Amino acid sequence: MTRRARLWVLTAGLLGTAALFAAACLRMPPFGGTWHPYGDRAVQAALLQRTANTVSSVNFDQRAFDTLGEESILFAAVLGTVVLLRRTSGERRVTPQPASVPPAVRRYAIAVLPLALLIGLYVVAHGQLSPGGGFQGGVVVATALHLLYVGVDYRALERVRPVGLYELADGVGEGAYVVLGAAGLLAGSAYLANILPLGTFNTLSSGGTVPLLNAAVGMEVASAVVVLLARFLAQALEIVDEKEEGRERGERRKRE
Amino acid sequence: MVDRLLPLIVVVPLLGAAVLVGAGRRMPRLAAETVACACAAASAALACAALAGPATAVSWVGDWRPRDGVSVGIVLVGDRLGLGLAALASVLIVAVLTYSWRYFEEPPRGHAGAFPALVLLFQAGMCGFALTGDLFDAFVFFELMGVVGYALTGYHVEEARPVQGALAFGFVNSLGGYATLMGIALLYARTGELGMAQIGRRLDAAPGHDALVAAAFVLVVTGLLVKAAAVPFHFWLPDAHAVAPTPVCLVLSGVMVETGVYGVARVHATVFGGPGGIPADGTRRVLVVLGVVSALTGAVMCWQQRHIKRLLAFSTVGHTGLFLVGVGLLTPEGLSGTCLYVLGHAGAKAALFACTGILLARLGSVDERELHGRGRDIRGIGLLFALGGLALAGLPPFGTGLGKAVVEEQAAWLPALFGLVSALTGGAALRVAARVFLGAGERGHDERETAGGGEKEPETAGGEEEPETVGGEGEPETAGGEEEPETAGGEEEPETGHRIRLPPPPMVSVAVALLAGALAVGTVPALAEATAAASFAFLDHAGYAAAVLDGRATGGQPGHGGEWWTWSGAVLGLLSAALAVVLAAAAVVGLVPSRGWSAPLRRLHSGHIGDYVAWTMAGIGLLSLLTLW
Repeated sequence: MTRRARLWVLTAGLLGTAALFAAACLRMPPFGGTWHPYGDRAVQAALLQRTANTVSSVNFDQRAFDTLGEESILFAAVLGTVVLLRRTSGERRVTPQPASVPPAVRRYAIAVLPLALLIGLYVVAHGQLSPGGGFQGGVVVATALHLLYVGVDYRALERVRPVGLYELADGVGEGAYVVLGAAGLLAGSAYLANILPLGTFNTLSSGGTVPLLNAAVGMEVASAVVVLLARFLAQALEIVDEKEEGRERGERRKRE
Repeated sequence: MVDRLLPLIVVVPLLGAAVLVGAGRRMPRLAAETVACACAAASAALACAALAGPATAVSWVGDWRPRDGVSVGIVLVGDRLGLGLAALASVLIVAVLTYSWRYFEEPPRGHAGAFPALVLLFQAGMCGFALTGDLFDAFVFFELMGVVGYALTGYHVEEARPVQGALAFGFVNSLGGYATLMGIALLYARTGELGMAQIGRRLDAAPGHDALVAAAFVLVVTGLLVKAAAVPFHFWLPDAHAVAPTPVCLVLSGVMVETGVYGVARVHATVFGGPGGIPADGTRRVLVVLGVVSALTGAVMCWQQRHIKRLLAFSTVGHTGLFLVGVGLLTPEGLSGTCLYVLGHAGAKAALFACTGILLARLGSVDERELHGRGRDIRGIGLLFALGGLALAGLPPFGTGLGKAVVEEQAAWLPALFGLVSALTGGAALRVAARVFLGAGERGHDERETAGGGEKEPETAGGEEEPETVGGEGEPETAGGEEEPETAGGEEEPETGHRIRLPPPPMVSVAVALLAGALAVGTVPALAEATAAASFAFLDHAGYAAAVLDGRATGGQPGHGGEWWTWSGAVLGLLSAALAVVLAAAAVVGLVPSRGWSAPLRRLHSGHIGDYVAWTMAGIGLLSLLTLW
């Protein structure tokens, strides 16, 4: 299609969709109403399960199967990235050179790294109590590790980041969620049933399986993000295309 | 007991994938492939065992059973059709893993488990989607299927076209996913529920349709129709299927696309089928119109391809169109015929892809003209390919023929459409078989000649793009490029790493088994009977809600003898198969022009992702018009 034709088709489609959506929005329940059938039920169920953070109760208890699916999407996306960013036949691995980092950045990164790591672990561990949980905390943990790359250099990061180990943790995190779910079956209840003692409301040991599932997700997310970034960093810093490399070398020689 | 084990069908493959990734670095290839096969087969066995159970299995995950018809949890519903689809997907996954057993060249070091793990995740996505009774949960598994699909499509990253195909797949499917999510949000705003049965009940409590319900229907169905590759949402499919590794094509064409059709039928039956949903006329209009257009587009485009995988991909578009028509009739007979058709088609299409993979592995090409006569020494594969083509054409007693015959009885105009589409797609496959394996007809023009010659509408790699859109507007165009003005298929690399001499036994046996399956669908009366009862129960809007929410078991309704071969159906099947043979023969001797007369249609398949996105948006507008009419 020519650009104009494409724009016409797109505009017509967008206008139609917008009209449809606007008409639908006019028939929505009014804003700020008191009728929240699912919300009311979910809060009630969360209290019964002694889980202070209702969102976590929904994610890791009431609708824990959705979360298994979501965790698997991240798992699959990272695995897909690993496959797509693999070193192919025309590519070669080079050793990245150390780079100098401004001292201020270095000081900041070194200071913040342990703090960020601690916050990440805290967020994972307190998923049943306060906003956060495995997904959010896992990302913070992975980010904390990468402050080493920002503050020192790639080789320092590589030293604390044996990718094989993180791939193992990635699989273990995903597998642990599945197995925790099966524990419900073994205990004679349903898959992903909250079979553990529910503990004391609003303390770390509350919510039954919710903290465990959070830990599994936290482990999976943290290692998945590390593996994901490792692949992109390797692609950017370590892997060179032999053809391009040859071309560059030729050009350099020509210039000389 | 079966009830509680239902989630295992979904999670066993997930566990397998976790093991493969966790132990991937240390696991030898043989172990990785064995683990994958075992998990896939275990899940398939579970699905089949549940199918053998007496009634609809209902499993509330986390034991959040409803009290007074309300629950906060997610339900998995193993009714016959859902379980049947899960079983079909799992069986095909086992076939794929067997087929790719030692098929791929040695995987990169440390990644022995990556491909089987992705395949297992794909299986989990399809099974989860088939079994869930919760709309949001269905969306989650829909996305899982998508994410894995993009990665598998782009598996051969060394080349540009797989990356383009995966990108087109990713863009269009993500757009469809967003639409579905918006539709779910609208339904949630209105009803405060996410379960399909619950939403349906709430909508029925306040009958009389309005704009919100219509918009929700259009948006939810958009994502599913993108997956089902209905025109104008279909553009990603040929680009993706032509470049995905052949084993992956078996699943993509055999069952993933059909999953979209299943989703449409499921959402219609459970959510929008009642008095508070979309009037049956509106749904019927949407599905039948889109189905007819898709069927014709797919068939016409299929006939014109010489890249064999792309040809088979377009035939999938055509057949999925027929499935949409069959489902869109909204009658139990139409649905049960479609189910048989889907089963038969999965066997036939997967077998054709399996044969194509053998061609690629042995001869290093999937170009019909380049391969001319070069398959003479593997005539056995040629026989399988031709049988697959005849099955596509609806030859009795293949399952495709039975399904086609059952659906055709529903309306007077259907035999013409079904016959034409079957004959064109089957004929195209037979034409390939005759040229490649028998060396029939002229060798065809040399590739370069065709490229430079009088072709007014040069096709290009990764889509068929118009030359003027390439350079003229400064837009970075798709992969491939102008030096290859036609999707020929000669540039495909053998996926086995080196060319093989004899077709390996696992590959051949998979192709044979798949064809045998397609044959079994049309020759085992019990299957047709079970399908008929299952389809009747599937369309029972109130019965589904009662089974899920009130625990009232709905068994198979007695007194629904399955549709079986009739004389007229068998004759129509023979006719379309004969027409396919005639078309193929005419094309081989040069009587039927294979190209040139439908340039505008071909030009639309431009390979430009911007075009595809524009058409997807236009499709949403079209759906709204058809729904609201």
